[in-house]
Amino acid sequence: MSSREINAKIFRYDPEVDAEPRFDEFKVPLIDNMAVLDVVMHVQNYIDKTLAFRCSCRIGMCGSCAMYINGKPRLACRTQVKSLGTNNITIMPLPNLPIIRDLATDMEPFFEKWKKIKPYYVGKSELTEPAVIRPDSGEREFIDQMLDCITCGCCYGACSMVATNEDYIGPAALNRAYTLIADKRDAIRIERINVVGRSYGVWRCHDQFNCAEVCPKKLVPTKSIQQLKKRCVLQKFGIFK
Amino acid sequence: MNEIKTDVLILGSGGAGLFAALHVYDNNPSLNVVLATKGLIGKCGCSRMVQGGLNVVLNPADSVDKHFMDTIKGGGFVNNQDLAWTLVNDAPKTVHELEVKVGCFFDRAEDGKIHQKAFAGQSFDRTVHVADLSGIQIIARLTDQIFRREEKIKVLEETRALDLLTTEEGDRVVGAVMANIRTGEIFVVNAKVVVVATGGAASMYKISAPSFDKTGDGMAMCFRAGAEFVDMEMLQFHPTGLLAGQSRLSGSVLEEGLRGAGGYMINGLGERYMERYDPERMERSTRDRVARAGYMEIMAGRGTENEGVMIDMTHLGAEFVEKKFPGMCERVKDIGKDLAREPVEVSPTAHFQMGGVKIDIHCQSSLKGLLVAGEDSGGVHGANRLGGNGICESTVFGRRAGDTAAALAEQEVLRPYRQEQVEEIKRRWLKFYKRTDGVDIYPIRDEIKLLMWEKVGVVRDGKKLQEAVARLDELLEMAGQAYVANRTLSRYNMEWNDIINVTNWITVGRLVANGALLRTESRGSHYRTDYVDTDNQNWLVNIFLKNKGNLEIESFTKPIVASRFSAEEIRKANIKY
Repeated sequence: MSSREINAKIFRYDPEVDAEPRFDEFKVPLIDNMAVLDVVMHVQNYIDKTLAFRCSCRIGMCGSCAMYINGKPRLACRTQVKSLGTNNITIMPLPNLPIIRDLATDMEPFFEKWKKIKPYYVGKSELTEPAVIRPDSGEREFIDQMLDCITCGCCYGACSMVATNEDYIGPAALNRAYTLIADKRDAIRIERINVVGRSYGVWRCHDQFNCAEVCPKKLVPTKSIQQLKKRCVLQKFGIFK
Repeated sequence: MNEIKTDVLILGSGGAGLFAALHVYDNNPSLNVVLATKGLIGKCGCSRMVQGGLNVVLNPADSVDKHFMDTIKGGGFVNNQDLAWTLVNDAPKTVHELEVKVGCFFDRAEDGKIHQKAFAGQSFDRTVHVADLSGIQIIARLTDQIFRREEKIKVLEETRALDLLTTEEGDRVVGAVMANIRTGEIFVVNAKVVVVATGGAASMYKISAPSFDKTGDGMAMCFRAGAEFVDMEMLQFHPTGLLAGQSRLSGSVLEEGLRGAGGYMINGLGERYMERYDPERMERSTRDRVARAGYMEIMAGRGTENEGVMIDMTHLGAEFVEKKFPGMCERVKDIGKDLAREPVEVSPTAHFQMGGVKIDIHCQSSLKGLLVAGEDSGGVHGANRLGGNGICESTVFGRRAGDTAAALAEQEVLRPYRQEQVEEIKRRWLKFYKRTDGVDIYPIRDEIKLLMWEKVGVVRDGKKLQEAVARLDELLEMAGQAYVANRTLSRYNMEWNDIINVTNWITVGRLVANGALLRTESRGSHYRTDYVDTDNQNWLVNIFLKNKGNLEIESFTKPIVASRFSAEEIRKANIKY
């Protein structure tokens, strides 16, 4: 990458008025530490003010700016231009979601599925104080690291099973379900097992690891889903309580 | 035009807004709540970005008195002591609720109890956390609890309030005019109670930490509606904002725990410069001092080549740093540096507004029907906020706002709004679509960021402040002349939204600059080279600002609320800031 200029090819589509999506090309000056978010912001601020995209925290904590960047779902803020190894960047909206306009997608289907697994904690009534759990007890297994999900939807956009099955809950929601089902403080684990144990739940996952490959937080939803499958089977045998 | 009638309208979905909604529901599940948020729920704003953690007294060896004294001492003693006392007393209940009801699981110590880490400016290790990216879990779990109550809490995402609606007499808020960002639709929410929890406007500085969507909208609306503000000059600069050149990653905070754990601050010459500014506490001094020290070093030509200083963790061992601060290490790695193995360039970064809308301990503002919680409110932190007291404030006062809102909604009737006010607000914000020519908002945005940084920044003086005050008035005028490039595109029009954002920035910036001009002393985060001393004889007072009408600013002062530690005691203690 010797040139000090980036060729950004950006997906444009306004479902209200455009018959077809199109790509617009922009030349953007390269700056140090440039993230793809810098590229789209430069375009919107100084070249074409009508571009639409979503972002908020710009440090990989909010998960608002997931886009399909050079063929892969990524957070625009955490994707350094130089990590792409080319000055030609193609930016598209996250797949598997409806488009509001240009790069801004409607996350509603993602969150509707998220809500299906009852993502909220329901504490056991006898637990009136914060649980005492020693870090070396292994009790939290890998729940804690899996709690770092920022619901950016990268995994949802990468999953080929989501792409081909409209009803599949998808990796993020199943991962969240796992963190609750494995949490011994939670009171409605069996209810959740009954949701994720359906055909549109864990059994739809074919262990392709697409989700893990793209997760900006380096979570491995496939692992959570395998853990859930195990518990679903045990529950059928009446062993999981 | 559509209209929604509701009991409670909540603006914002950070710690304060989410907790307020939760508490309205849990107090009285029959009440209707509309929760409007500028981005996606729980994703926009800064609670989500909380790294370090939340200060709370849990250990019997600690006490709320100590937490209180740390808070007012850190705040240069101009805090509203009733609010600070509320903060420290409600914090344990809040953390309890977060763990037991909301489902958070904070990091544990060896004995299995909640771990508390060291933060600067505190007499006890009392910061609870989830590694070094605590906000993700706190806010994600709160958001999920909102989903559980969706039947009564109507969530409007990517929906912003444009302005508050008031009664004829102007002393009561009855709702807001709203804009759906996705569709461009303008509508009214008519409510018995409005809770404003949209966060501050520190993003108006060239180097700043907050999320991009957070532009002081709530404060600006409250000002236009006539609410009183307190100590707006108090705006915190965090000492360790990452420097990443022109990239928008610049200014993002490297968390306080780094200094708490023993990190060094060094200048371009390799000196631990805190020796010169606070030899006793060194790097664990409060944010105001460490930030100012860094700024002074840079100004004195002892900075790095990119006009920064450095945070150095290397002496603590790479393994320790990587284990304790995985999120920070990863962020720094994005810009090609290794926090665990080399010093990293940082700069003071505009971070948080201590000043804000005046409230009482029930979050009641000076206008009836208007509650304010979190960063948009003022008084809790005085002249400087302690690290870990921010998310503490938003959750503690969010809970309170929810409780108050529920009680008020039960007593109050829904009062009508005035259609002519709705029309006036619509005209004011939609005029940008009507013009074919005018002012480009982005150069104005770039100018205000530079102006605030240079003239209302870490180090201030009367002359610069006066220049800023005059220029901000002009910029407000100019922003009013803005136009959008595509007049027919109201769906997800980022430019139109930025015109509103910049207007709100300028509105809040005027309050900060005017407050700073009035306070002729130095205290906490407010430092003036023409009045370098802290003046406890004359300035143990708060400065109040409000809209005189026509956006002119009226000011008055009152002695501090010193209900627990008197002004006499403060003067006697003679603590140097």
